[in-house]
Amino acid sequence: MRTLALSLCLLLGGVARAADRDFFNAEVRPILAQHCFKCHGPDEKTRKAKLRLDLREEALKPGRSGSPALVPGKPEQSELIKRILSSDETEVMPPPSTKSPLSSAQKEILKRWVRDGAEYHPHWAFVAPKQAPLPAVKNSKWPRKAIDSFILARLEAEGLQPSAQADRYTLIRRLSFDLIGLPPTPEEVDAFINDKAPDAYEKVVDRLLASPRYGERWARRWLDLARYADTNGYEKDRPRSIWPYRDWVINALNADMPFDQFTIEQIAGDLLPNATQQQRIATGFHRNTMTNEEGGIDPLEFRFYSMTDRVGTTGTVWLGMTLVCAQCHSHKYDPIAQKEYYQLMAFLNNADEPEMEVVQPELARKRHELEQKIDDLLQHIPTRYPVKAAQAKETLGAQAHRQAFETAMAKWYTEKAKNLAQWTPLTPIEAKANVPLLTVLPDRSIFASGDQTKSDTYTLTFNNDLQGITALRVEALPDPRLPKGGPGRVYYEGPPGDFTLCDFRLEVGGKKVKLAKASHSFASGGFTADKAIDDNLQTGWSINGGQGRAHNIVFNLAEPLRAGGTFTIKMLFARHYSAGLGRFRVSVTTQQKEAVAVDLPSEIETLLHLPPGERSPEQKRLLERHFILNAPEMAALRKEIETLRRQMPAYPTTLVMQERPPENPRQTFVHRRGEFLQPTERVEPGVPAFLPPLPDGAPRNRLTLARWLVAKDNPLVGRVTMNRQWAAFFGRGIVRTTQDFGFQGEAPSHPELLDWLAVELVRQGWSMKKMHKLIVMSATYQQVSRVTPEVLKKDPENKLLGRGPRVRLEAEMIRDAALSVSGLLSPKMGGPSVFPPQPPGVTTEGAYGRLDWKVSQGEDRYRRGLYTFMKRTAPYAMFATFDGPSGEVCLARREITNTPLQALTMLNDVALVEAAQALGRLTAKQATPVEKRVDELFRRVLTRPPSAEERTLLVQFYQKQKARLERKELDASALAGPGEGDVNERAAWTALARVLFNLDEAIIKG
Amino acid sequence: MTTAHTAPLNLARRHFLRDCGIGLGKVALATLLTDAFRSPSSAAEKGPALLAPKQPHFPGKAKRVIHLFMAGAPSQLDLFDYKPKLVEYEGKPIPPSIIGGQRYAFIRADAAVLGPRFKFAKHGKSGAELSEVMPHLAKVVDELCIIRSMHTDQFNHAPAQIFFNTGFAQPGRPSLGSWTIYGLGAETRDLPAFVVMSTGSGISGGSANWSSGFLPTIYNGVRLRNQGDPILNVSRPKGVDAQMQKDSFDLIGALNQKRLESEGDPEIATRIASYEMAHRLQTSAPELMDLKKEPKKVLDLYGADPDKPSFARACLLARRLLQRGVRFINIYHEGWDAHSDVAGNLRQNCGVTDRACAALLLDLKQHGMLDDTLVIWGGEFGRTPMVETNPALGRSLGRDHHPQAFTMWMAGGGVKAGMTYGATDDLGFHVAEKAVHVHDLQATILHLLGFDHEKLTYRFAGRDFRLTDIHGKVVKDLLA
Repeated sequence: MRTLALSLCLLLGGVARAADRDFFNAEVRPILAQHCFKCHGPDEKTRKAKLRLDLREEALKPGRSGSPALVPGKPEQSELIKRILSSDETEVMPPPSTKSPLSSAQKEILKRWVRDGAEYHPHWAFVAPKQAPLPAVKNSKWPRKAIDSFILARLEAEGLQPSAQADRYTLIRRLSFDLIGLPPTPEEVDAFINDKAPDAYEKVVDRLLASPRYGERWARRWLDLARYADTNGYEKDRPRSIWPYRDWVINALNADMPFDQFTIEQIAGDLLPNATQQQRIATGFHRNTMTNEEGGIDPLEFRFYSMTDRVGTTGTVWLGMTLVCAQCHSHKYDPIAQKEYYQLMAFLNNADEPEMEVVQPELARKRHELEQKIDDLLQHIPTRYPVKAAQAKETLGAQAHRQAFETAMAKWYTEKAKNLAQWTPLTPIEAKANVPLLTVLPDRSIFASGDQTKSDTYTLTFNNDLQGITALRVEALPDPRLPKGGPGRVYYEGPPGDFTLCDFRLEVGGKKVKLAKASHSFASGGFTADKAIDDNLQTGWSINGGQGRAHNIVFNLAEPLRAGGTFTIKMLFARHYSAGLGRFRVSVTTQQKEAVAVDLPSEIETLLHLPPGERSPEQKRLLERHFILNAPEMAALRKEIETLRRQMPAYPTTLVMQERPPENPRQTFVHRRGEFLQPTERVEPGVPAFLPPLPDGAPRNRLTLARWLVAKDNPLVGRVTMNRQWAAFFGRGIVRTTQDFGFQGEAPSHPELLDWLAVELVRQGWSMKKMHKLIVMSATYQQVSRVTPEVLKKDPENKLLGRGPRVRLEAEMIRDAALSVSGLLSPKMGGPSVFPPQPPGVTTEGAYGRLDWKVSQGEDRYRRGLYTFMKRTAPYAMFATFDGPSGEVCLARREITNTPLQALTMLNDVALVEAAQALGRLTAKQATPVEKRVDELFRRVLTRPPSAEERTLLVQFYQKQKARLERKELDASALAGPGEGDVNERAAWTALARVLFNLDEAIIKG
Repeated sequence: MTTAHTAPLNLARRHFLRDCGIGLGKVALATLLTDAFRSPSSAAEKGPALLAPKQPHFPGKAKRVIHLFMAGAPSQLDLFDYKPKLVEYEGKPIPPSIIGGQRYAFIRADAAVLGPRFKFAKHGKSGAELSEVMPHLAKVVDELCIIRSMHTDQFNHAPAQIFFNTGFAQPGRPSLGSWTIYGLGAETRDLPAFVVMSTGSGISGGSANWSSGFLPTIYNGVRLRNQGDPILNVSRPKGVDAQMQKDSFDLIGALNQKRLESEGDPEIATRIASYEMAHRLQTSAPELMDLKKEPKKVLDLYGADPDKPSFARACLLARRLLQRGVRFINIYHEGWDAHSDVAGNLRQNCGVTDRACAALLLDLKQHGMLDDTLVIWGGEFGRTPMVETNPALGRSLGRDHHPQAFTMWMAGGGVKAGMTYGATDDLGFHVAEKAVHVHDLQATILHLLGFDHEKLTYRFAGRDFRLTDIHGKVVKDLLA
């Protein structure tokens, strides 16, 4: 009970202090926000009795009952006070049905507030931060940095003292984990311990900030916010390639890219003038939303969910606002109207979402080399064409081969030409579709872009000028803008780049014209040309397996078409996924002979119509190449080319945002109750009124939004950003609710400090490294983390920072540390994600989208945790056990739990066992006495040397296990794993290393 | 279970708690100052203390839950909801006025009606109507509370499963099991409080189905696996025998204890407790999985092979888990997604689940556990009265997804036995009477556990979240 009384004092003390600062914001607003604003707040739809309590002038107006809710200075005349004190169930506020009655303390606070004048002050977080003068402190020797003055002033006000500076072992361990996510090596520790220079600590800080490991450590935190993962999520949860974005983050952080630029490139890198490939990669930030590939989903519905995720994530990351609350209705507590939510969405909503090839110079060179070799071969193949032995002897070498080649080629083309028809490409006078945008290109082909549905219909109208059309042809054309180069638009669920033409009809004057037959140049499986005219809408023509190439389908009319007026063709693409055609061209023929689809690209076809004598050398070369690459009789000779083509390295791809063309903007609507199927009013891009406006005349696009987010007058971004940094070092933010700075968020423990940091961030040119240095150079950061019973009573959560941070390591750090101290950790940076060992079945058992977890070999087995393949529906088991994210939602703060499953992981998981074995091998190799080796092992894992008592216990354990091993009571080779030297030795050290990994201290930065 | 080697650690922890004056005082403070179900804020609460048994809002009739999740969505029209009209209309499309604007996953809205594939008969005293493919369930039908008037918002598997479990169609919110443990705490420290098993094919909704969402991850469902260790990493590495494991636990405990004394951080005490529990898990998990000691007649009742993972074995394990204090169990059986040959699909799936479902009810009853154990059976939505036929995909005589109406049953745990609730229209397309939305069922389940679903909340991102979002009404008619 004594504890309780003391803590209550502390709490009430908090109230008194807050009153001095801002009684309204600290005490009154939270009560109003939680109990009143739901019905008397910003949301006009749910507002009761037309009473609004979030604005003073509204609350002072006479209400329905005649008397105003608030009469400043006169609680007894204020309707609000009367109502909260009422004992009448029909009168009392909040109504009993809300099940959230006010406590008597809360009623007192409201009364006092009204008595004192019912003053409103703007919410602290919505007012631009200023750097207040440093507060005066008694212990003027303690502060090293501005930070310390704020911390100390508060401690002194509470009658507390800061803790002493931690020892150097603790400091270097804390610094290393915080700045690079890895423990220091014994050599680094010794260097620091022995460095007598006054700036020894600062030198360590600078070394760590300059390490490439810094970017890896801090990227992981950012990737939590970015909801980065390597799969699409939902049912199928198939792999995706977006790791170039992850690498971009690492590189940007290592280069200390200013946070404003870091923001702008991720939100709108593609819109920057002359955007670089890197800037486009950065837009992957908002491509980390999930994609549902479940058969039968409505793709536009799930795109809408991605959009709500993007708005919500933007709000969390840059504004610290819970924008998501305004999706279904105006925000109940914060001043964000539902319309404003959709106006923010409108900024982000006007982008296409392509996959982009990442051209890497090294790969480009390799590709160029191979292409040259292929070119070379293509030139030489004609001179290698086999000729009959007798003939070869008579004529002159190469010439004879070439002649034979040309003869064969001429024969092949003559055969092909037999089936050629004279096709006339047509330009439609109108090209329309239900949702996609059809654009006619100069080569008369039509390009489909924009959104797609599961049932797209393209309607094309042509002038019917040619007399007696007998057949129509649709060429399906590849295009680099399409998935896998097209010709189709399938991008999820089905084979990328495919399409399915389910129905093709020709109409004149609204009447269907009979089609007799259809043929294709290529088809996949049963999806043949005839299926496009069989009147069964579930079947159709598709080309899976032929992506990246041109194909065509020919429809023969039952009767030749009489000229005059117009004709219309309608193409239906309808499967259980979007399956439209991306680029195509329509041609007609009037020839009497029945036309059939021929597997020739139209460029070659055109050349064949030219008399051989009229073909230019370039045209001849094209024909030659096509012959070599396609004719069956050339198969043997082109084998080498095919081998080279297989060696052609593909560029990695990544997911990016790309602003839509001005002719096809996407419209954004308010959605009633936030439901996809209920769009109502159309909105234009805009920002919430409670925040600074957009600059005059700025275009309403993503780039403007991005710049606005990091504009100097945005009161939130600096605070929210620095609060997250603070939380990374101290285990909790100055505002504990890192994701909510609105009225419902917790008040900052040190508001002046937070404001100071927010302003300083901008003053330091948005440099994160400088801000991180500022924090770690503070005396606050360097305190010991020891907890005394007295301190625990007064400040159990270390809110006041009277001691150093003592926080469990993040999931990836725990594994990285074990790999690092055992010498296994690979320093390799970047590249595709890897598959380190984990228990069997994690990604297969019970998983719909099963992923065979093929364990990486070589150094990829031991890469840093952030390179581990992240499967959303079945995350890497060890990380999940230690509170790692699934990548399904933006995560501003990881929970820190302490569970038996974590103990089992540390004791028995294959990754930890391998690290223990490696450490066992290292230790067994040394020729020093056992005690010395115990010390060395201990220092590797825990940084500090062991106490005598600890050493004794560890040596005893080692000797006991060693004796048991020597007596063959244990399977030494199984325990020690692979390696050389005395197996019992290795096994015994492995056992000891395993114990050390399992100490609380091993997974703590203290 | 306090074994010789853990006793000193327990003692040490108690000593620490007493001398440092934390623990009780803080817990009391937290309880007094905040609603018992608000976010934990103090360090000492982050560990096993989060699992301390708690009282619900009022005494609940159900103390434990087994949710038999028939993932993929079984066809209610061929199992529970007999519609003779469908025979009459077979081959004809359903009038567009009935279909409204419903979007379908695979079929077109003008697909023809498909009649029930099986014979139906009335069973038991209650006279509940079941089809012939569930002969075992028919024998225990008087224990069931069959709800024919379920409906949901989602028509695709992953979102619908996640919606059923978390009240929201996107991943990220806590599941029913997580809410339950958050509200009630755990009864055992030897096994996880919320256990997930699965048989059949892969689960569409994935781990989001049993995720703790924004609740502390300690409330995540823990998978009891079919391959490898039943609980991840519960067995010792190769080469480590029981003695070495014990020596290791002892040394870890002793060194952590010293650290606790020097650093004073209560989190270290929690770590020590976690290791004690881990040590116990290493014994309790194999003991749990060892079905050899179950009498043959019990194995036969379920139709379970002790060594072969199956739905039947999962049901038997579920009973054993409950006996050992586990509070919430999910058994997923995925495979009911009958886009083709709905009859064959049901024969196959009922073939592997029907006996075990009935056996579980009988077995729980025999053990006197059915009264306070809630058993829930059902899928994420229903199936269409219309046929799915698609030669391109090789499908015929199937049924597509149908969110407007489906059937579930519950038993034990305070629900009315021997009752069939609600009805659909003549074509089984819409609910005609006493509609029960998924949120209503969630509210009802929480009610059975002793919670006011509007008060079981957690503050996250500025809002008090709850399982039923802003919806849900307790269906009082279902309560015993």
